[in-house]
Amino acid sequence: MTDTPAPPRPLWLNLLGAVTLLGLAVGAWLGLVVSPPDQNQGELIRIMYAHVSAAWVCFLAVILAAVFGMLYLWRGRAIDDVRAAAHAELALLFAGLTIVGGMTYSKPTLGAFWDWDPKLTLTALLFALLVGYFVVRALVDDRQRRGRVSAVVAIVVLASLPFNWMAAEWFRTIHPAKSFDVTAAGVQDTADPIFRWILLINVAVAALVYAWFALERIRIGRLELRAEAARDAGDASAPGEVVHV
Amino acid sequence: MPEGAARELPVGPPAWRAALAIAGKDLRLEWRSRAVTVATVFFSAIVLVLLAFAVGANDAVLAEVGPGVLWVALAFAGVISSAQGYAAELEDGAFEQLLLYPVPRASIYLGKLLANWLYTAALGLLLLPTTALLYGLSVPVRGWPVLVATVALGTLGFALISTFYAALTSSLRARESLLPVLMFPVVVPILLAAVRATGATVRLDDLAAARDWLQLLTGFDLVYAVTCTAIFAYLTDE
Repeated sequence: MTDTPAPPRPLWLNLLGAVTLLGLAVGAWLGLVVSPPDQNQGELIRIMYAHVSAAWVCFLAVILAAVFGMLYLWRGRAIDDVRAAAHAELALLFAGLTIVGGMTYSKPTLGAFWDWDPKLTLTALLFALLVGYFVVRALVDDRQRRGRVSAVVAIVVLASLPFNWMAAEWFRTIHPAKSFDVTAAGVQDTADPIFRWILLINVAVAALVYAWFALERIRIGRLELRAEAARDAGDASAPGEVVHV
Repeated sequence: MPEGAARELPVGPPAWRAALAIAGKDLRLEWRSRAVTVATVFFSAIVLVLLAFAVGANDAVLAEVGPGVLWVALAFAGVISSAQGYAAELEDGAFEQLLLYPVPRASIYLGKLLANWLYTAALGLLLLPTTALLYGLSVPVRGWPVLVATVALGTLGFALISTFYAALTSSLRARESLLPVLMFPVVVPILLAAVRATGATVRLDDLAAARDWLQLLTGFDLVYAVTCTAIFAYLTDE
């Protein structure tokens, strides 16, 4: 069990980390220094760069968590469950960041930290769904059953997103489907293209952060799987022996 | 359900026959023990009264919140009834025997779903006039078919999710608290659409809006009927 040492930390992962940190600095510089104040939102536009980026990455992470869950159900490989859980963890993290960013933006613009804004409400529901996902993971001990059950929960979470979106969108309306706000108060509608470019760069940086964290988390998960396999083998052959991983 | 019907097997394709047999078994069990009935009928009646006290004795406010209170009471009762449906199976390893039958796992889900749905829909039809009475809702005569359809579709949505997740939580620690944690965020659209359809019917007499909300309920029910039936087998796999 100890005769196969853990694989060394790959160089490209460190490079990705360095690029991500550099990108974060550039994104922050663009958003905080280069970007002029928006004519409607003023300085608050700077919150949007971080908030919108986190929201987009959050929904990407939910989709990937469900996709790797389905792959696990299909192929039954332990690493797919590790991947699904890694994406779900990041979805939870970015959902939390989205909610915090949205509340920060909501207080000065709408006067209250929580105003039942449709997109924010949707994210809050998603946060609750993801918490349920991890509660289930924590309660199932058997690794294979945990993988199957959490894949099923992830699929239900993904299926619930369109309906929760509709519910959040129609929460304030008497009549559904007739109140779509096409020009939602987003950054995309502002006249100057520089806002859009800075937003896109910040979305790309958030995606880099996400990719880096996900790859790190999957690497750790892979090592955990190895350690678990080694421990099981050790239990069978030499009980009581301490395994250093 | 008449007890004489117990001996006859339902007709239809095998998977559907199995589902009907399981639904019949669950309903017969409930008819004889009345365990869920005692728990849910009084519980939801208490919820109705309790929320009236929480809201206060303002007639206008009571009529305003009435539809919401009805559906909150139904959601809570749905958690109890679906959990109870599996609690009975866990005694003496009955669920494992059920899994050993050579029928698709989806049949087990559909059977338990059918029983749970019929039960909560009946409870909903009982709570509907009770809520109208307690909260002073005036239901126009032509609104009753819409209300019955809302109860049928809304409780089906609750039953789809609660029956599905109860199969998962029944075997876990902390199942009493876990089922609502998993179920409620998923059924938020059902709750919203059912409350709005009910409210549109009783308060505004706006049946066109109610029908639009019923469309959302139908879409939800269809998507989850397909999704949950397709992946239920992975929840019970051992």
